[in-house]
Amino acid sequence: MTLTADPELLDEPPTPEQPEVSVKRKRGRPKIGMWLGVAWLSALVFCIVFANSLPFIRLYDTKIKVGGKTGRYNLGPGWTAWFGTDASSHDVFARCIYGARVTLTVGVVSTVIGLVLGGALGIVSGYYQRWVDRLGSIITDSLLALPPLLLALLLVYRMDDLKDVYTWLGWMDRQWEITLTLGILAIAPFARIARAQTIALRDREFVLAARSLGAKGGRVIGREILPNLVPAMLTVAVTGLGILVAAEGALAFLGLGVERPLTWGKMITDGTKDLKRAWWATMFPCFFLFLTVLSFNLIGDRLARRFDIREAAI
Amino acid sequence: MSLESKNRNVSQAATRELKGPLLELTDVKTHFKTPRGLVRAVDGVSFTIDRGKALGIVGESGSGKTILSRSIMGLLPPRATVRSGSIKFEGREIGNLGRKEMRHVWGKEMAMIFQDPMTSLNPLMKIGKQIAEPLQIHLGMDTVAALATAERLLQDVRIPEARRRLQQYPHELSGGMRQRVMIAIALACGPTALFADEPTTALDVTVQAQILDLLEEQRKERNMSLILVTHDLGVVAGHTDEIAVMYGGQLVERAPTKVLFSNMKMPYTEALLQSIPKIEDPSHTRLMAIGGRPPDLVNPPKGCRFAPRCPYAREKCENEMPELEMADNNPQHMFRCWYPVGSPEYFESKERIDVEHAQAGVTVGEVS
Amino acid sequence: MRYFLQRLLQFVIVFFLVTFGVLVFMRIGLNKPGDPARTMLGGTATDEQIAAVTKRFHLHSNYLTQYWYWLKGMLTFDFGYSQPNNLTVTKYLKPRVLPTVFLGLYATIGALVIAVPIAVYQAYRRDSTYDKVGSFVSFAFVSIPALVLAPIAKFIFIDKLEWFPRLSSKVYPWDSIPEHFKNFFIPAMVLTLPLAAVYVRLLRADMVQTLQADFVTLASAKGVPPGRVLWGHALRNSLFTLLTNVGVQLGGLVGGALIVEQYFNIKGMGSLLVVAILSSDIFTVQSVSAILVATVVIVNLLVDLSYAVIDPRIRHARALS
Repeated sequence: MTLTADPELLDEPPTPEQPEVSVKRKRGRPKIGMWLGVAWLSALVFCIVFANSLPFIRLYDTKIKVGGKTGRYNLGPGWTAWFGTDASSHDVFARCIYGARVTLTVGVVSTVIGLVLGGALGIVSGYYQRWVDRLGSIITDSLLALPPLLLALLLVYRMDDLKDVYTWLGWMDRQWEITLTLGILAIAPFARIARAQTIALRDREFVLAARSLGAKGGRVIGREILPNLVPAMLTVAVTGLGILVAAEGALAFLGLGVERPLTWGKMITDGTKDLKRAWWATMFPCFFLFLTVLSFNLIGDRLARRFDIREAAI
Repeated sequence: MSLESKNRNVSQAATRELKGPLLELTDVKTHFKTPRGLVRAVDGVSFTIDRGKALGIVGESGSGKTILSRSIMGLLPPRATVRSGSIKFEGREIGNLGRKEMRHVWGKEMAMIFQDPMTSLNPLMKIGKQIAEPLQIHLGMDTVAALATAERLLQDVRIPEARRRLQQYPHELSGGMRQRVMIAIALACGPTALFADEPTTALDVTVQAQILDLLEEQRKERNMSLILVTHDLGVVAGHTDEIAVMYGGQLVERAPTKVLFSNMKMPYTEALLQSIPKIEDPSHTRLMAIGGRPPDLVNPPKGCRFAPRCPYAREKCENEMPELEMADNNPQHMFRCWYPVGSPEYFESKERIDVEHAQAGVTVGEVS
Repeated sequence: MRYFLQRLLQFVIVFFLVTFGVLVFMRIGLNKPGDPARTMLGGTATDEQIAAVTKRFHLHSNYLTQYWYWLKGMLTFDFGYSQPNNLTVTKYLKPRVLPTVFLGLYATIGALVIAVPIAVYQAYRRDSTYDKVGSFVSFAFVSIPALVLAPIAKFIFIDKLEWFPRLSSKVYPWDSIPEHFKNFFIPAMVLTLPLAAVYVRLLRADMVQTLQADFVTLASAKGVPPGRVLWGHALRNSLFTLLTNVGVQLGGLVGGALIVEQYFNIKGMGSLLVVAILSSDIFTVQSVSAILVATVVIVNLLVDLSYAVIDPRIRHARALS
């Protein structure tokens, strides 16, 4: 599980004496990558939203009978079940779609949590500096000190216990636990980029101008700095979504995923035992997971190049 | 291949016999393919330079002077670059050589120093090593010999405590010293031609003179040709034998230095001279800038390229490109203008302009 | 020097904070009578056992006291006791450290070995077909989570082609090199390839930028052959982003190792940790976490110091500060 956004640098603009050399570079890489990503995600979201009404998506619990009987992996990929059936004769394709529902929801909500909390932390750190910055960077470093998956495991697992004790936490189902956990994990990257960008922006003329007019910290942050952070945060958010989706899969693999509906991670885990016999039960969820992460990365990469966000600036 | 010169003394280069000009350019063009079209950065430049002489190439940004010098050396990236014309160095054609062949020429026969000494030196490498490198590659010296030679070179360029400097890094030196180091690197293998691309622009004024003097001294000592590329006429005034003025990718005037300053023909040269503030002028003298912008090198004007900005331009100037012609039957003085300085049309236009200025209440020398 | 001490202090603070946090977090909510000992011992514990354990590990004191005792233990390499397994943590841990270390080492070194030449050549031949293909492939691998790569690798190489054994037995290089290789290759590859892809992207970007710098043109203009320009001049100046990320990726590597160990049945620290967390094996979790945090912290510190080693400007600036 990697936690870096790694965009590519743009060319330096040519000096008047030295025109650009590479013709193709100037036109920008064909945007086909990004559009493929958008296409996949749109299709996925469409299926998710309308899953119950779409004719080709069976309901979650339907078992498929072959010759009047249900059985383990009774059907390979084909016309009846596009992706075949799993160990309980369920339609793999349908399960993939329903699993996507959970995964994407978890991904988006946790990204938002990370963005808001991490962004706030980063902005405050970068803007006020000195001891605030020290404190902020201690918090960020602490979040980063533990390997992320480990932290996630700890959090999710203990949250189960905590629920029993502090009953006011009872509303949290497994999905929420995972969402909150991943949200906490997402704080550090957002905090870092927010801090870096805030520091860069802080000394720019328009911020100094606002402050010299008497604008107080909060106002300066809200009106001058925040809007300029949007490109960077958006880029990190999109790429981060891909990472969080993969992380959710990893959690499921390790046994701490959402149980119902099954997410891709769990499907992969379950199918692994019978990989040789029924590859479809594992491979198709893998495929979905890969394409989803890839799509987010493609879009995030395109954004990074568009907004000229450099890895080194983090 | 350079091992054959293992025993060659650096100063031997100075005594090599040569007939004919050192560098001969004929209709050299350098175009770049860009999405917008073909950028004609250098569009048909011809000149020669003799051994041991100093040539100044003057022009504003976008005139093509830097591209020309890099093109002569062959340093431009090969992709999307189209070079044509003939470049003869010591009688051999080098215009069509690739980087692989040119590598044997670079540093050994032709060298270049760049504008900004801070970015031109590797910040992570010791000075001594950077000077020793060409010595090791071209002359096959071992490390000890190379460093000893490097120390001597540093002394040649007047850097005090040369031995200590060898172990230092570029950021530990001042700007002027860094430029001297660059000169030392360039001179290391005793090249016969040195290109200096805006060597003083990034330096303090006081240091500029020192560097130029140093270049002059080395040139004479080594009988080396010096090509000084700059936008600053002041730089070339005292340190060159000949000056070539470039505009819009073309050579627009070329003359021995004294002749150029006393008897310039091309209005652009005149404008350049006028734009230099003179110490005798009273204070608050308005600076004479040249209005307008350099021409678009993708679609250059079909007539004279300076016409849009020339105060004396007439219809013919905008429609027909003037060719290079001799001035006053002096084959060393060429210029490219229909109505050059000193022609009757010139004086007519000048009067008209002076009248306009007087009417508008603007005179050079008045507080504005 | 002062800079180094400042950083060290910050890292030490982080270490304490995090390990204390882990300790607290493992214990909060365990409020049933006899806890946390009861949870550690499992369902069938007798009251005497619970009391004994509680006394032995000071589990009734407040958190700070417990932390103090644990810390003391750590300093003497007494990592506590793994109750569910009835072993000291040290005994429990010892046989499982090496496989994980091997995986991590192979992944990092392998990734660098693969990535550096590819990225350097990509930057040199920018926008060529090689460059484009390379970028495409590295992008693809960056996007493959370990969870996806592992089944695919397993399916192709283990199940279908049967080139590698199904259950990785723990064979050390000093036992038998070919066996070791066969057992570790696929798991290590699953970790190495995405990491290499990340490194390639980072290094290529930096190299491309460096190659546009003046001093590179000057080096060529001195007649230095392109190989030497690339490797002797340009590479050293392009290492910074890569170096920064070696530290950052360490955390991700552990996560990947967790998955890979579970998937390929390697008995390493990763799978140990998973089991420990899921069985409330408090001391194991605390101690292993501490080790991991310390490793991350030390690696980050080393990376920070290495900047000074590579770049003399930073060296001098720090010496002055």
